[in-house]
Amino acid sequence: MDIFLQLTFSGIALGMIYAVIAFGYQLTFATSGTLNFGQGEALMLGALVGLSLAGGVMGGPYINYWLMIPLVMLFGALQGVVVERIGVRPSIKTKNEFGWIMSTIALAIIFKNVAENIWGKDDLTFPSPVSSTPFQIFGANVQIMQVIVVLGALAMMLAVELFNRKSIYGKAVVATANDSDAAGLMGINTGQVVTFSYALSSATAAFAGVLVAPLTLTGATMGTALGLKAFAVAIIGGLTSGVGAIVGGLILGIAETLTGYYISTGYKEVPGLLLLLLVLAIKPSGLFGKTTIKKV
Amino acid sequence: MKRNSLILGIIAFIALVAFPLVIPNPYYIHLAETILIYAILLFGLDIVVGYTGEVSLGHAGLFGIGSYTAGALFFKLGVPFALAVPASIAVTAAFGALLALPALRVTGPYLAMVTLAFGTIIQILINEMTFLTEGPLGIKVPKPSFFGHKLNEVEYFYVAAALMMVALIVVNRLLKSHFGRAFQALRASPVACDCMGVSVYRYKVFAFVFSAGLAGLAGSLYTYSEEYISPNTYNFELTILFLLAVIMGGRKTRSGPILGAAIVVMLPSLLSDIELFRKIAYTAVAIGVVASIWLLAKKRKSLREIAIPLTATIAMAVFSYKLENIIDWRLTIFGLMTLFVVYYLQDGVIGFLRNLLEKIWPNGFRKVDEYGALANESLAWEKSEHSGKAGVDLLHANQVLMQFGGLKALNQVDLKIAKGTIHGLIGPNGSGKSTMMNVLTGIYKPTAGAVEFNGGVISGMTPAAIALGGIARTFQNVQLFGEMTATENVLVGLHHTFKSNVLDVMLNTKRYRAEEHRARIRAASILQFVGLTDLSNEEARNLPYGKQRLLEIGRALGLSPSLLLLDEPAAGLTAPDIKELVAIIRKIREHGITLILIEHHMDVVMSISDTVTVLDFGQKIAEGKPAEVQANAKVIEAYLGGDAGSNAGAAELSAPPSSTPIPA
Repeated sequence: MDIFLQLTFSGIALGMIYAVIAFGYQLTFATSGTLNFGQGEALMLGALVGLSLAGGVMGGPYINYWLMIPLVMLFGALQGVVVERIGVRPSIKTKNEFGWIMSTIALAIIFKNVAENIWGKDDLTFPSPVSSTPFQIFGANVQIMQVIVVLGALAMMLAVELFNRKSIYGKAVVATANDSDAAGLMGINTGQVVTFSYALSSATAAFAGVLVAPLTLTGATMGTALGLKAFAVAIIGGLTSGVGAIVGGLILGIAETLTGYYISTGYKEVPGLLLLLLVLAIKPSGLFGKTTIKKV
Repeated sequence: MKRNSLILGIIAFIALVAFPLVIPNPYYIHLAETILIYAILLFGLDIVVGYTGEVSLGHAGLFGIGSYTAGALFFKLGVPFALAVPASIAVTAAFGALLALPALRVTGPYLAMVTLAFGTIIQILINEMTFLTEGPLGIKVPKPSFFGHKLNEVEYFYVAAALMMVALIVVNRLLKSHFGRAFQALRASPVACDCMGVSVYRYKVFAFVFSAGLAGLAGSLYTYSEEYISPNTYNFELTILFLLAVIMGGRKTRSGPILGAAIVVMLPSLLSDIELFRKIAYTAVAIGVVASIWLLAKKRKSLREIAIPLTATIAMAVFSYKLENIIDWRLTIFGLMTLFVVYYLQDGVIGFLRNLLEKIWPNGFRKVDEYGALANESLAWEKSEHSGKAGVDLLHANQVLMQFGGLKALNQVDLKIAKGTIHGLIGPNGSGKSTMMNVLTGIYKPTAGAVEFNGGVISGMTPAAIALGGIARTFQNVQLFGEMTATENVLVGLHHTFKSNVLDVMLNTKRYRAEEHRARIRAASILQFVGLTDLSNEEARNLPYGKQRLLEIGRALGLSPSLLLLDEPAAGLTAPDIKELVAIIRKIREHGITLILIEHHMDVVMSISDTVTVLDFGQKIAEGKPAEVQANAKVIEAYLGGDAGSNAGAAELSAPPSSTPIPA
């Protein structure tokens, strides 16, 4: 039972990471109907830049972990702008779906390859900013970092939600998400809003990267699987629902740690992906998603 | 055209036979063999990507399933080549169906991600299911033997070449047939495709499964070609390589995949030689600079448009000069190539060359329509199989309620359409007319109530089933298959006349050829009826607006409907066009087809309708003969507001000579 509980706790921490990345997918999907297939690579770059600033790989540490976070998020935002400008904007203009899918994938490959050439192909350890001695809840060991991950992820999503609801800029984002054409006619620069959503989305991913890095290993290949599974989460929860992202994330995170322990670590990616196929077969709009009505 | 492709085929055949004789180096023969094998897979991938317009990132996984089916069958059971290859095709196609059935309920980015997930699962399974696949150790498979003789590299090359030719012919036949037309149609306008009785979902699944079968064939050939397979081959990189090959070669062609395969197979060898890569990069810069100067001098492009690609090419050359180890940067180069192709070479190399040739020789590619001469208006009509009893109501919508959230777009509407009549459906904008159309054709499922057609309940059936049952329609905002010719558009409407299955098409049987011949004559006849004979080979998107509307009617007539729904057919038409349209509508009725007509041109509606129903805010407010409706106080109020019965309103509604639509 202790083991089960412990696995559940790790699953929750992992699930919240998925939720944050899935949240990032939702941000760009809402404003532009596009997704960044390199979301996982944005996370990976965030983690590696964070490691270079707060760890020893580039002759550091230069600053401590907590001060590094805003810098990494800034880097993530810039990276998101690059993705949007090169990969997405030209395709949105020509309404070419194939175009943005292929170009965000191409950019993802390039980012990964560049990262491999800068930081090497081997995984690196990320020094934990807090004590790694676990404490006990109901007899199960919990790391302080895991708690930070859960709280950090929730705080990030809450901050974005508050921004959208309370600030005038956030209202522009929501308006664009609801009806891009109408928002444009009301004087909102929807192109800028889309760029902003990509910046925010990549910043969120970069933030998730530095949160998860102390718990796992850091390396050029860390992003791909995380990005893919977070997409599964976004679909399972529904691409339009923030709550869906959290619930989907928790389901997948826990399913994964349990499979990893009780069946085999090799299979731990499988339940999430199967769940994805299942949800699509039964309820394509996701557990919390709204079905849209097509107009003829 | 036909002779050209025959000559090309013969040249290709000779080239394939001669290749091992001219270049006996086993390394190059093996490379050519790989190109042939990739080409088979890419033919299939092109069906999905080029024709149905979906992005599959799962083809490396399918390729892996094909490889491992052949590998495991040989390794575990010693199954010979002749059985292992068909088994691979079947197993891979089955996996393709397993993936496509849930995944194709969604489209676009969803499908891309789902297929990516599928590819990942397959790679994991190959790695983990060691009892079947030997896991990371891989499986060794020798070249196949026939009657005790083990094939050598050259002989196996011929086997691969023969199968590639077979795949090429089969795929070519499929894509030229009604199946290929369905694939293109469902991409251009899914809604219209469903309403022509061609189920979008079913044909997408079929395309994907067929494509998976080809991937299986390619995979099994690959196993015997490499003689050793291991899980790492079938990774994400390979998927990207396949996609790059299809778009770089040229979508919707057969030569594109072959060229694309050649490029991606040779690429790694080219990239391993840094000197060569530098030379390529420098040449690219030279070409880029010359082309830019030329484009600028001719004012074809502005400096801004040229700046990005030119800077990128120069940066590439500088980068190649600085570079020491190119293998580490291989993926970056793939990525850059993909970006380049997506933005500057959308039609691929083959498409680019074809556009160039078309500019030099504008008429070289024009096909002559030999069926135009066989057209005869009387052949356009085929007695509908669904013609119920005369004098009875053909269609009966019973208390239909259609609710979107809190809005009742249709509120308990009753509608009876008598057989053989023209039934006008009018009402101000937003009154629910188009919603009614969508309910009748199955695009919307009514919240409550039922629709009966020919005595059977049709509400709840799919649009495709309803269309096949005898209800055809046109669309308020024209929904033609833009890149298909006028003839092909009508042929999609005639899809239901084909009884031939895939095998008929693949083997080009007599039955299929007869059906195709008959359908083409009928398509030409229908085009003659709607007056589009001269434009039969023009792409639908290039037709003038009025002709597009007529083509939509022609396409709908292909279904041999017993009920035809016209949604604002006169919208945007000029006065002479409207006259022509009215004549066509009358003729359609004379052939026993019942019509429902939504229209804002009151003179049109009032002059040709037998009965008129008026909707307002989702409710039926009046019904009867045109004259009765025109005098109805409620109707006048709905259109003009204010007090019912104002004389000005009545005059406006009943003024036949003015062709101005009522502003609503």
